[in-house]
Amino acid sequence: MSDKSTLFKFDNISVTVEGKQVVNSVSLNIKRGEVHAIMGPNGSGKSSLSNALMGHPAYNITNGQAALDGVDILGMAADERSRAGLFLAFQYPLAIPGVTVANFMRTALQAHRGKDADMADFRKLFKKKMADLSIDPTFATRYLNDGFSGGEKKRIEILQLSVLDPKMAILDETDSGLDIDALKEVSKGINEYRNNNNAVLMVTHYQRLLNYVKPDFVHVMMDGRLVTSGGPELALKLEDQGYEWVEKEFGQKAEA
Amino acid sequence: MNIVTDSKYMIPHQSPALERGPAWLREKRRASQTEFNELPLPRRGLHLWRYTDPSGFMAIPDSADETAPSENYKLVEKLELDHLKSGNLEALVTDFGGRDIKVSRSGDDVTKGLVISSLSEAANSHAELIEKHLYSLIGGSSGKFEAMNSALWNDGIFIYVPDNVEVKKPLHLLREAGVEGSIQYPRLLVVVGKNASLTIVDEYGGGSSDFRNGQSYSNAVVEIIAEQDSRLRYISLQRQASGMQSYLTHRAQAQAGASILTIPLVFGAAISKQNFGVLLDGKGADSKMYGLLFGTSRQHLDNHTLHHHRAGMTTSDIDFKVVLRDKAMSAYTGLIRIEEDAKTCEAYQENRNLLLSDSTRAQTVPELEILNEDVSCSHGATAGPIDPMQIFQLQSRGIHEADAVRMIVSGYVQSSLKLVPEDLRERISEFVAHRLEDI
Ligand SMILES: Nc1ncnc2c1ncn2[C@@H]1O[C@H](COP(=O)(O)OP(=O)(O)O)[C@@H](O)[C@H]1O
Ligand SMILES: [Mg+2]
Repeated sequence: MSDKSTLFKFDNISVTVEGKQVVNSVSLNIKRGEVHAIMGPNGSGKSSLSNALMGHPAYNITNGQAALDGVDILGMAADERSRAGLFLAFQYPLAIPGVTVANFMRTALQAHRGKDADMADFRKLFKKKMADLSIDPTFATRYLNDGFSGGEKKRIEILQLSVLDPKMAILDETDSGLDIDALKEVSKGINEYRNNNNAVLMVTHYQRLLNYVKPDFVHVMMDGRLVTSGGPELALKLEDQGYEWVEKEFGQKAEA
Repeated sequence: MNIVTDSKYMIPHQSPALERGPAWLREKRRASQTEFNELPLPRRGLHLWRYTDPSGFMAIPDSADETAPSENYKLVEKLELDHLKSGNLEALVTDFGGRDIKVSRSGDDVTKGLVISSLSEAANSHAELIEKHLYSLIGGSSGKFEAMNSALWNDGIFIYVPDNVEVKKPLHLLREAGVEGSIQYPRLLVVVGKNASLTIVDEYGGGSSDFRNGQSYSNAVVEIIAEQDSRLRYISLQRQASGMQSYLTHRAQAQAGASILTIPLVFGAAISKQNFGVLLDGKGADSKMYGLLFGTSRQHLDNHTLHHHRAGMTTSDIDFKVVLRDKAMSAYTGLIRIEEDAKTCEAYQENRNLLLSDSTRAQTVPELEILNEDVSCSHGATAGPIDPMQIFQLQSRGIHEADAVRMIVSGYVQSSLKLVPEDLRERISEFVAHRLEDI
């Protein structure tokens, strides 16, 4: 194995939302080509961490650093973070009535390429990516997430991932709301996106998706802290035994 | 020339306007004149005049000039003539100053039986129809300013679709107000026969472009009769220039089984007060209103809608959307009235206000007068900025904040536009985009 360089690194990140601290001094070092997973029970702060890293206005980063490809991102607005190569697939994507999926994707890709960049290839690219993810072509002209089922929203998130092809993808509960066929297609999309130059951080409280997208590292989040890390076997143990043992072993520490 | 307003103004008996038309019409004008002179000015603070000063509309006709159309008028007229030539319109009617009415029809492709003419001609050629319907929904007793129009209107537009005639292409009415110093009283009468169908785009433009050079005034009346089982789509576009003071009252009657779709699009004028009402007068009548208002700078836009259920088993639905930026203000008053013997009705009303800056003002007043229990009725109103989470979601895909705002607003207005004919929809989308350029 060759030496892998760090792609996304954050240190001692703390987050407050509505004045309440929900993430407490979390650090991670993600290298190119790696897949990391953060697992943890509901309410442990996984989405807060993900949203804060993406620049969500409701989540305040009160402490810590984060750098993508060596560049500090915390001073950037969300759109700059995106253009710098960061991506977050949302746990709960919102509807934008009146804005079609195709128009949205074109505008996003144009923003990434620069406003005078050629977009002649867009139609073809977009059509191919839709087909790859088995998304019905009629979705192109539907309004973004407007009346979409939970599973459809998640597919559209992965469509955005594959069109924008970011350096670093954070996927927040991308498996929730998916039936088994959809889970396979979405996993296929994630695996097709992966290469030696990018990285994935999967955020989930089930290990279901991890059967299809194999993580190199698994981290466990409790009460806003990363309390332990391990390999893929840690995910299986959580699947087997639930989060109780983590709570027993690390709960105290988390409160301390 | 500057127009003089006087809240005590009376229409003089010797006013030449009262002498226009055949005897029965002159009688109606006289009656309206009397009503106007006797009616007090609406009291400020009461009901529909809570947000707008009525004395501002008391422009003295004698102080007005006959002015020429603006340059822009010729451009829009040409655009619409092109649409006519390329076969997208049934007819184009231009109305300058509520005075000069010109009808252009598509050469070989004219719908049989469809009558489009000036009111002054129709008063002779279709005397019976006109006498029956003109003033039937709006006349001297409808209110101070309705009486003023009813007495003083110069010429107007008449449209008649005979029974069972389906007019496939839209009819475009292009009304142009004169520049500063002008006053106009546009008037429209539409009769859609039994089981007939029609789409009308009623566009109001022109007027003084700058307050400081003087104002111009418009006081319009629209009467629509939709007979049994007919279908009417009526789009009202108000894009008058920014030195205009504008008043409009619209009443449409939906007879049994008729369905009316009304789309008020409000963009223009300095001060605009409009009142759109549908009377559901026969079993099975249905009315939908999808309004869109976009106010900028210091525009004062006051709108009222009425759904009056006067027969049982009638349905109505209103979605009135507002976007405001800068220091613009919108007042929306929506009245649903269901009469005691109008059983088993459904009536819905929603008013959403998207506020793009802190200095905008949006008033929303739902009014329900429901006189029986056997109805299904709901109303809702919201006012607030764009959801910052929506902006964030678009930004998180690399889209600049201002572009995200533009996308969300353009999307928000789409639902009001989806039933607007395509050519017009594109123009409206451009208006909206233009108003968001410097956001
Ligand atoms: N927008 C918000 N407003 C208020 N509280 C929030 C918000 N988002 C998250 N929280 C709180 O932060 C904590 C962590 O939630 P979250 O990050 O969603 O956890 P997870 O994704 O692990 O389920 C919870 O107590 C939750 O109630
Ligand atoms: Mg979550």
